[in-house]
Amino acid sequence: MSMTHRKAALAAVPLAIGLLAAVPDLSAAQDTHAGSAPLLSLERQGRLRAIDDAVANDARSATGSRVAQVRTVQDTPTTQPQPVAAPSGEPDLSALRYFASRGDTARLQAEIARLRALYPNWTPPADPLAVPQNVDRQLEQLWQFYSEGRYAEVRAAITDRQTREPGWTPPADLLNRLALGEARTRLINASDQKQYATVIELGASNPNLLNCSDVDVLWRIAESFVRTERRQRGVDAYRYILQHCDNPQERLATAQKALDLLPLADVKPLLALERTLPDGQPEFASLRDGLARRAVAEANKAKRTDVDPADVDRLEALATSGNDVADMLLLGWYLRGKGDLDRAEPWFRKAIDREPSASAAQGLALILVARGRPGEAEAVIFPWRADSDDAQATYLASATNFLALTPAPVIAPEILTRMASEILNAKYVAGAQQLGWYAQAFKQPQVAARWFETALRWDPQDEPSAYGLLIARDSLNDRPGVAEIQRNWVDKSPRIAAYFEGVATATVPREPRTARAPAPVERVEREEATRQPMPPRPASPTVRTASEPRRPARQSACQATAINAAPATAQQQLMQGWCLMDLQRPLEAAEAFEAALKSPTVAIREDAAYGQSLAYLRLGLTDSAAVAATKSPLRPARAAELQVAILANRALAAFSAQRYRETLIYLDQRAALKAETTDLMILRANAYRALGDTASALQIFRVLAEVGNGDAMKGVEEIRSMDDHNG
Amino acid sequence: MKPWLSIIMTLVILVQASLAHADASINEEEWMQYKTRFLDRGGRIIDNGNHGISHSEGQGYGLLLAYLADNRSDFELIWHFTRTELLLRDDGLAAWKWDPEARPHVTDINSATDGDMLIAYALALAGASWNNKEYVAAATRIAKAILQEAVVKHAGRTILLPGANGFSARDREDGPIINPSYWIFEAFPVMNALAPSDAWELLTTDGLYFMKSLQFGPAKLPAEWVSLRTAPRPAPGFERIFGYNSVRIPLYLARSGVAEASMLGRLRQSLASDDQPMATVDLTTGKRLQPLTDKGYMIILSLLDCLTDGTKVPETLQQFQPNLYFPATLQLLALSFLREEHAACL
Repeated sequence: MSMTHRKAALAAVPLAIGLLAAVPDLSAAQDTHAGSAPLLSLERQGRLRAIDDAVANDARSATGSRVAQVRTVQDTPTTQPQPVAAPSGEPDLSALRYFASRGDTARLQAEIARLRALYPNWTPPADPLAVPQNVDRQLEQLWQFYSEGRYAEVRAAITDRQTREPGWTPPADLLNRLALGEARTRLINASDQKQYATVIELGASNPNLLNCSDVDVLWRIAESFVRTERRQRGVDAYRYILQHCDNPQERLATAQKALDLLPLADVKPLLALERTLPDGQPEFASLRDGLARRAVAEANKAKRTDVDPADVDRLEALATSGNDVADMLLLGWYLRGKGDLDRAEPWFRKAIDREPSASAAQGLALILVARGRPGEAEAVIFPWRADSDDAQATYLASATNFLALTPAPVIAPEILTRMASEILNAKYVAGAQQLGWYAQAFKQPQVAARWFETALRWDPQDEPSAYGLLIARDSLNDRPGVAEIQRNWVDKSPRIAAYFEGVATATVPREPRTARAPAPVERVEREEATRQPMPPRPASPTVRTASEPRRPARQSACQATAINAAPATAQQQLMQGWCLMDLQRPLEAAEAFEAALKSPTVAIREDAAYGQSLAYLRLGLTDSAAVAATKSPLRPARAAELQVAILANRALAAFSAQRYRETLIYLDQRAALKAETTDLMILRANAYRALGDTASALQIFRVLAEVGNGDAMKGVEEIRSMDDHNG
Repeated sequence: MKPWLSIIMTLVILVQASLAHADASINEEEWMQYKTRFLDRGGRIIDNGNHGISHSEGQGYGLLLAYLADNRSDFELIWHFTRTELLLRDDGLAAWKWDPEARPHVTDINSATDGDMLIAYALALAGASWNNKEYVAAATRIAKAILQEAVVKHAGRTILLPGANGFSARDREDGPIINPSYWIFEAFPVMNALAPSDAWELLTTDGLYFMKSLQFGPAKLPAEWVSLRTAPRPAPGFERIFGYNSVRIPLYLARSGVAEASMLGRLRQSLASDDQPMATVDLTTGKRLQPLTDKGYMIILSLLDCLTDGTKVPETLQQFQPNLYFPATLQLLALSFLREEHAACL
C-alpha cells in the first residue's frame, strides 16, 4: 500500500511495471533481493533477533560451526519482506527539515508532495523554509552525505550508529532514497557494460526509478529490452516517454534513440506522438532526413520499392545538395531496384567521381549490363572484383555478358586474358562456356573445345556446355569426340538429339551461337535490389480490335488483364501473351510470356519461350529474341524456325552496319537450316560485291536474273559496267 | 575424508572465537593502518602496486579483513562499492577490473573467480556472525553463480576456471587453464553451505591433488597459469613463472587446514632455503627473478616453519607497517590466522 503512495508521490505516472513484471527471469531474481532490501531492513532487523538467539544457542552447543551458522541464517523462512506498513501518526520530517535548511526548494516540494500522499491528514507548514532544523546532528550528517551522493558513507554511517546505538533505526525515507540511488548507480553501470539482464532486473525491482524525472534510466531500460529480443517492450518504454514526458530535448533524443535501435515499422507509430513546438515547428523536424535515409536503406535491404515518394524526394534533395556519397548510393540502388535506370545511373557515376567504392562500381556495372554495355561494365567493376563476393559475382556476370554479345566483339587481348583468368579462378561455369562460344565465333574450335570441356569439368550436368562442345568438336571433325557427346547426352538433351537427327539426314546444321544466353546477372546478386529492368509499359493501353482475331475466345481475357495487370496463372499469362501478339502488341506480349516462363510445367515454358522470342523478333530485338529462345528447351522445329528468323535478322543488321563478313557468316548459318530465300540471296551477292568478291556476286546475280529477278538483273548490269570502266 | 573433517574442526574453533565476541583477530590499529592506505571513502580497495586500480580480489580481501577486524561500518562501506560498481554481470558474478582513470570505470567485464569467491566468503562469514540476512543472501547468489559459471569437470577432475570467459577447453586451444592460487580451500565448505553441491568437496580433493603434483622445472614449484589440456603444464601464452599470486598457495593451504604437514614442509623447502631467499622464479631455468622480501611474503615462510617444526614467528614479521596492498593483505591474513589458531607461534 505504501508502495502505491510512494509511487504517487515520486512519479506522477511511472512506467507501468506490468511491462516489466511479465519478464520471466524477474521473479526469480527478486528472492531475498539485497537491492530491494534497504526499504525493508527495519523490519528485518526485528525478525533477525529470533534467529540471533537460535544461532547463539546452536553455537554454544559446541557442534555449531561457522558453516552451520551460515546455513541457519540463510534458511530462515524468507517470506518476501513486506514494505513498511502504511504509516499512521506523525510523519518523519527529518528530510523536510534537511532540505529546508539547505534551501533546496525543488527537493523540499517533492518531499511535501510525498508526505501528503502518505499522510492525507497532514498539513504542510505554511513556510516550509522556516521549518526548524533537525536537532539530531548525526542525522543531519547522513542527509548531507545523501544529498552529496556519497551513498557509501551514508551506509557506513548508518551501520556505525546502529552498532553503537543498538536501538536506533534510520528514517525509512532515507533508506528508500538510498536504495533508489544505489539501484540507479548499478543500473547505469550495468547498462554501460551491456549487462542487460541486470539492467532490467533493477528496473523491475525499482519502479520508482522509472519516470520522467530520469529519462536516461528509461532509455537504458528501453535499450536493454531491444537488445535482448524483447523489442516490443523497448517500444513500450519509448512510447511511455513520448506520451508522458515533456522536456523537448529529451523527447527529441528519445525519438533519435528509437530510430537508431528499432526498425522503421516500430519507429513510425512512435513518431506519430510528435508534438508541435511553441514556434509552430513539429518537434522531430530535424529527424526527417535520417528518416528518409532509413526508409530507403531498409527498402533496399528488403528489396522493396514502396518507399513513400516524399522520402525519396527528400533523399534526392540531400544527395543533390550534399556531398554524402552514402546518400547517392542509397538513391542509386533504390532507383535501380525500381527499374529506373536512367535516374539511377547518374547517381552511381557521381558517387564514383566523388569517392570510388565497390558499391558504386557494382551499381553502375549492373546498369551497364542491363543496358547491353557489358564491356564498359567489365572495366568499371574490375578494380573492385576482390572486394566482396557480390563484387566478384558482378564482375563475372559483366565479363560473361561481354563475351556473349552478338556479334562477338573484338576484345583487347589483355582484357580477354584478365576475364579468362578471373573466370578460371572462380570456376565460373557460365563464363567458361561463353569463352567457348567466343572462341568458336572466331573460328578457333580447338580453343572453344577446351573451354567447353573446362565448363563441363566444373559442372558435368551443364547441357549448354555439352552442346557447345559438340559444335566445337564437329568443326574439328573430331568423330570420336562427337560420338562421346552423343553417347552421354542424346537422352538428356533434345537439341543434341535433334542435332544427330539432322546429321542423319545429311543436313549439318551449323548454329554455333544459338546456345548463347547472357549470363544471369540478377541471379548472382545477393545484397542489392534484383529487379530486372522492364521495358516501359504504354501509359494507357488502348485496346484495339484485331482485324482478324485468330483466337477470338481469348480476347476478352486479354483485354481485361492488359488493363488491370492482375496476377494470373502461368497458363493465363501464356494465353495473354498470344492474345497480345494477335493485337500487335509484342512488347506487352513479351512481358506476359516472361511471367509464363516461371511456370513449373515444361510445356508452358516451352510455349512461352517460343512466344517471347517471336515477340522480340517482331520488335526487331534480335538479341533478346535469341535469349528468349534459350529460356526453355524447344521442339526442334520451333527452335529451327526461330533460329532461321534470328539469323536472317542478324544478317540484315550486319549488312546495314557494313559488316559484310559477318553478314555472310549469318547467311551461311541460316542456309544450313533452311534454303536461302531470294531476297537473302540478293543480300549475299551484295555482301560479296562489297567485299570485292565480284565473281561470287556475279554468279548469284546471274542465276537469279535468269528467273527474272529485277534486283539481280540490276546487279549483273552494275558489275559489268564497272568491269567495262576498269577494263 | 580426513581433510574435510579437519576443515569442520577448524571452522568450529573459528566460529566459537568470533561468536564469543572475543577480540577481533585483526586489531584496530592494524585495520586503521590498512584502511588509511588502501581504502577510499567510497568503499574502494586501492591496489597501489598496480597503478591504483581496484579489482574484485581487492574488494573480497577488504571485506574479509574488515570482518576479521570486526568493523561493520567499513565492511558496509566496501560492500557498497563492490555491489554498485562491480556486481553488474548478468550471471551474478563481479566484473574483475575497475580503473579510476577510465570511463566507464569497469575496463574488463570478465569475472575473476578468486575475487568472486572471496566476496561470497566474506559476506557469508559477516552475515552469519552479525546476523545480516542480506549479506548471506548476496553470498548465496554469488556462490550459485560460481558453481554455475566457473566450476567444471575436466578429465575426471573438478576444477575452478579462473574466470567466466576465456579459460575453458572451448575458449582456448590449451584450455582449460587453471590458476592454483585461486583455490581458496577455506571457502569451499562455506560455499557448500550456501549452494550445496558435491562439487565443492571435489574441488578440495582435486585441488589438493593439483597442489601436490604441480611441480615444474628445477625449482619444483607450481606455475601461475597451468594448462590441463594434456598432462598439466605451464600454459603457453602466459609467463612460465612462480609469481606473486602463487605465494598465496601455501597461505591458503595452511589457513584451511586441509594440507598435511608433509605437504606444507615440501612447499616450504621449494620456496626458499638458506642460500636461496624466497623470490619469484622462472620455472624453465629455475632462476630466481624478483626477491620476495616484504614482511607480507616473509611471514608465510615463518608460518610454514611454525606449522612444520614449531619455530616461532619473528617479532619483526608480526609488526604491521603496510606499504603495498598485496603483501599487506597477506600479512594480515597470516597474522589473523596465527592469532586464531596458532597463538603459540607468536
